[in-house]
Amino acid sequence: MIQTALIIWLLPLAAFVINIFIGKRLPRKGDWVSTGAIGVSFLLSYYMLFQILGNYNPDFALQASVPWIDLGETFKLNMGIYLDNLAVIMTVVVTTVSFLVHVYSIGYMHGEPLYNRFYAYLSLFSFSMLGLIMWDNLFGIYIMWELVGICSYLLIGYYFEKDSAANAGKKAFITNRVGDFGFLIGLLIVFTALGTFNLSDIHQGVSQGQLSGGLLTAAGVLLFAGAIGKSAQFPLHVWLPDAMEGPTPVSALIHAATMVAAGVYLMARLSFMLSLDAMLVVAYVGGFTAIFAATIAITQNDIKRVLAYSTISQLGYMIMAMGVGSYTAGFFHLTTHAMFKAGLFLGSGSVIHAVHHAMDKTGSHGDPNDIRNMGGFKDKMPVTYITFVIFSLALSGIPFFSGFLSKDAILGGTLAFAMSQSNPIHYLLPVFGFGAAFITAFYMFRLIIKTFLGQPQKPELYEHVHESPKVMTVPLMVLAALSIWFIYTLPSVNPMGAAGGWFMHLIRQPISAVAAQLGHPVYIITEHAEHAAHVNGIIISIILAFGGILLAFAFYFWKKVDVEALTEKIKPLYNLSLNKYYFDEIYQATVINGLLAWNNLLKWFDENIIDFIVNFSAKVVRVFSAFDGKFDNLVIDGMVNAVADMTLQFGRGFKKLQTGQIQYYIMGALLGTFLIIIFTLI
Amino acid sequence: MSNLNSLQYFIPELFLTVSILVIIIVDLFLKKEKKVVSAYLTALALLVAMALSFQQYNFSPASLFEGMVVLDSFAIFFKILAAFSTLIIVFISLPTFRDKAEYYVLLLVVTLGMFIMVQVNDLLMILLSMEMVGVISYVLAGYNKKNLKSNEASLKYLLFGAASTGVMAFGFSYIYGMTGHTNLYLIQQALLNNNPHPLAFFIAVVLILAGLGYKIAMVPFHFWVPDVYEGSPTPITAFFSVGPKAVGVALFIRFLTTIVAHPASTGLYDFTQNIPIKLPELLAVLAVLTMTLGNLSALQQKNIKRLLGYSAIAHVGYMLMALVVFNGNAIVAVMFYAIVYLFMNFGAFWIVETITPKLKSERIADYTGLGYRAPFTAVALAVFLFSLTGIPPTAGFIGKVYLFSAVIKEQWYLLAVLGVLNSVVSLYYYAYVIKVMFLNQPENNDLIEVPLYNKVLTWVLLIPTLVMGLYWNPVITFTENSLGLFFGK
Amino acid sequence: MVAFYIVLLFFLIGMLIVGITLVISRILQSRKSYPEKYIPYECGELPQGEAWIQFNNRFYIIALIFLIFDVEILFMFPWAVVFDTFGMLAFIEMLIFVVILLVGLAYVWAKGDLEWVKPKPKLAHLAKKKGA
Repeated sequence: MIQTALIIWLLPLAAFVINIFIGKRLPRKGDWVSTGAIGVSFLLSYYMLFQILGNYNPDFALQASVPWIDLGETFKLNMGIYLDNLAVIMTVVVTTVSFLVHVYSIGYMHGEPLYNRFYAYLSLFSFSMLGLIMWDNLFGIYIMWELVGICSYLLIGYYFEKDSAANAGKKAFITNRVGDFGFLIGLLIVFTALGTFNLSDIHQGVSQGQLSGGLLTAAGVLLFAGAIGKSAQFPLHVWLPDAMEGPTPVSALIHAATMVAAGVYLMARLSFMLSLDAMLVVAYVGGFTAIFAATIAITQNDIKRVLAYSTISQLGYMIMAMGVGSYTAGFFHLTTHAMFKAGLFLGSGSVIHAVHHAMDKTGSHGDPNDIRNMGGFKDKMPVTYITFVIFSLALSGIPFFSGFLSKDAILGGTLAFAMSQSNPIHYLLPVFGFGAAFITAFYMFRLIIKTFLGQPQKPELYEHVHESPKVMTVPLMVLAALSIWFIYTLPSVNPMGAAGGWFMHLIRQPISAVAAQLGHPVYIITEHAEHAAHVNGIIISIILAFGGILLAFAFYFWKKVDVEALTEKIKPLYNLSLNKYYFDEIYQATVINGLLAWNNLLKWFDENIIDFIVNFSAKVVRVFSAFDGKFDNLVIDGMVNAVADMTLQFGRGFKKLQTGQIQYYIMGALLGTFLIIIFTLI
Repeated sequence: MSNLNSLQYFIPELFLTVSILVIIIVDLFLKKEKKVVSAYLTALALLVAMALSFQQYNFSPASLFEGMVVLDSFAIFFKILAAFSTLIIVFISLPTFRDKAEYYVLLLVVTLGMFIMVQVNDLLMILLSMEMVGVISYVLAGYNKKNLKSNEASLKYLLFGAASTGVMAFGFSYIYGMTGHTNLYLIQQALLNNNPHPLAFFIAVVLILAGLGYKIAMVPFHFWVPDVYEGSPTPITAFFSVGPKAVGVALFIRFLTTIVAHPASTGLYDFTQNIPIKLPELLAVLAVLTMTLGNLSALQQKNIKRLLGYSAIAHVGYMLMALVVFNGNAIVAVMFYAIVYLFMNFGAFWIVETITPKLKSERIADYTGLGYRAPFTAVALAVFLFSLTGIPPTAGFIGKVYLFSAVIKEQWYLLAVLGVLNSVVSLYYYAYVIKVMFLNQPENNDLIEVPLYNKVLTWVLLIPTLVMGLYWNPVITFTENSLGLFFGK
Repeated sequence: MVAFYIVLLFFLIGMLIVGITLVISRILQSRKSYPEKYIPYECGELPQGEAWIQFNNRFYIIALIFLIFDVEILFMFPWAVVFDTFGMLAFIEMLIFVVILLVGLAYVWAKGDLEWVKPKPKLAHLAKKKGA
């Protein structure tokens, strides 16, 4: 199985190497190399999945490693693979989405310049993402973490001739760096305290109490900072909406399904070392992000941005789940979300593709992403429409779809957590969760109504819109199939809960090292609360989801409420949401301008104080030179040039030794021998 | 072990001898257009010799031919290295010397000489094997008979070699006079028991250093290097800079661990000097001089082959630096560096060999804008040069880390600092070439077509250079396992 | 050990004497210059033509080949002395040695290096450009 995993991991790397160097000269510019490589990985990952299904053992784990860096006692590092059910399922998710996106891109990216480079980057991304999943130590994970960041940067800036794309790439990279810095410090704390990067060794070390108290919390929170950056959590969420400048398949793969989920995956991997305080931080950041991003999504008009904020919001759910100890639910939501959110992005890509072509045909200009240019597409693009609705239903949490199961599990977990805690303030978390669920249903159906239903808003474009090619619609259908509930609940087919299913069976929360250290569980969640939360959670969330959908229809389809008038009435709130709570502006004003001001201060300091000192000393020297004319040359110029000159002079001198006359050479050698003897005798 | 019994341990060498004869005879019956077959036969012979040598790891260490040579894992390691470096040279030479069977046979003879050189256990064998490698090297240096520079190189090499070997033989006579033995192990024992006079012993050692130093181009016995490197055909220059030099270093280690020192009781592969003399200090000075002179002279070079020649001197300095402490760590570091050096130096020379016929020049100035004209080749050269400088993530960096850590562990801080400073100086001239290739616009924008053969061989050298920069553990494990020196008659 | 000091002493004195002789002759010599002094034979014999004349380089090649077989004979002497004790083994050993050298002879012969006048390769397809 380890060998299978290695092949899965390394195939995309091979494809990257081939494509980046000779892709341009290959037939079809090498798209088949990358697609083929990930395709084989895809099949092999299912082979692994069936193996673990055959085992059906929640404690399954495999590890194999080889020494990588061995500097004696001081530093030892292994390179290894750690496979457990979590890693295998994550591998399946990544290869599935990645493979479908590869296939979809054949249609979507057709005829783009730098086509081969696009595929090369996709392959590199797949390689890094798989490495992040499988690597058995934090050091390797960190390397891969940065590599996926670079791939994300390269792919966001794929249309680098467009300023906005280039800037979005930079913004994503820099924002991520902020979080990664925290990650790095967390890493160093762990290494300093435990002397290892290996996950199982860390588990052991924390259990034995070698890292505890405030430092443990700090390490947990700092490592979480990495996840905040990568999973676009508040307050580092600003890069993800801008990242939509990248090609849509990239948004689907990296910025919806896999890379942004890496933060959640990391928290899942590290959940054993989160202390109570760290977990609360995680839960509140996640919960707040979930509702915060959802409120922004309501007012956006760019189809991809709506989805981007929705992604942030859903990632918030997962993070919140990790924070309240609903480990399984969080990872479950990651898996289902990867499928339907990738599907939503690919569906939106299909729509954008169509609008883009229609605009090319009619010669009109405008933003192909803007939902105000759409409307009524359901007859023109039936496959896209139906799959899009399926994905939306899944995302909104309607029973019979995968999203309902996972979201309900999270909400139930959150509610149970709140009910078990003595402090009523923790009811905030379920409130965030349920609120976001309602808003999600609302904005998703607002999107569907504006895009696919109602009257065409731009009839001239509508005329030229048509369904996308098979190579793009088939991935949509596959993903739609993967959004149906029973895929995840087999062998049971209960649409109301996944409790009896294989997924819930295989993914089990690891034993917390912190609990082992403290001697009692981090949280106590009573069985009574769990049961009550489960039943209540299902009822509330179904009501809220349908409520949101109905409200959306009332607003935008039946037009029962005058939206314009309502907007006017709550203008300040509306503007707040439309402008994303002015976060970009706040960062511009504080962080960026602050840095610029600091830069200017340094510049001023440099120009005035430093230069003054330099000038002053020069003056002093000049005074001296009045007494000694040569002083200036010797000291100022001399100091600067002496070293370089001396080196070159030596070189010249040595070159002169090389006369080309053999007799001098032999004499030199003999003389050298005598000099050596005499030198040592003295 | 008696002569007849020794033969079974001597199979790689016997095989090489037979191959030499067979290839010579086969060549006589080959038509002109089929002469290239002898090159392939040579490559095959080297591969088999490598495999046969590898097989010898199964044998327990032994001394052969009445103590004339020893077979230990240290020797086997360098035998494989020598055969491998010749193998690469055969492929590097193919475009230039397609139908010169003599040339390949001469390479095989040198390989045979190198095989014996790493196994010597007797002063006479040192002399014989060094001459065997040396004489053929003189012929190879002058292989371009019509080229005056090549002739000059050959003659200079011969004269300098003769002088150095003479000095070394003189040193041998001192050693023989003091101990009454020519067998290295017996000499070691005799020195331990007799306590010879330090001065006489020291003079003898320094005289022998002259001969060994000439072989590995140590200052002040390096004078032949730049002229010979420039004059010889490029493949031969590449060969001189790696193969004979690596085995020279092996011989040097053999000399240090037998005549100069003996295994100490404190640990495996710790050594104690036989006679209290200031040899480490002397070696330290020579190492620093060697690298400094190599680097400073390279600064001034306009010719890429000469530049690489001087840089080769500097690299000997780095290896000598570790030998100052000569314990197990240092020897492993040097052996590992020899592997790394093989790939990166052959790589650099191979690119020069690829590019020179296209540019019809070896001047660095003519490499202007090569990055635009032959991107892959230029990038590969840049990687090799970075590796030679010792910049991560290339193999050269790892090699240097091991060398420096061996020195630092024994608290030779000043030596390490001087070594690092030297690396900084070397960055200047290596980076200069890279700057010329990439930052300067070419006058003529024609793309240079590089044949597929050249690209493939470049990859063969490039991949280890990069991979060993990231994952070198198997190689270092192999090297550590090869550290087995046999002491005995 | 003292013996080695004597060697060293000898060495130094030898160097010293050579040096002193050179210095003395430098001091004592007269420095008169006349044209005859610059011709090779000061006895009055006038040289004919250039000193740099071209030898036929066959001389060297033949001499080298000769040398190899000369050395072979040299090796055969000690072998002949111990032949009785070793018997067949010694015979085979020497046979191998001679065969190796004979291969060399055959090679040289085939390449035409044994001909004195203008080498013509024995085998037609070995023909190559002159001097290459």
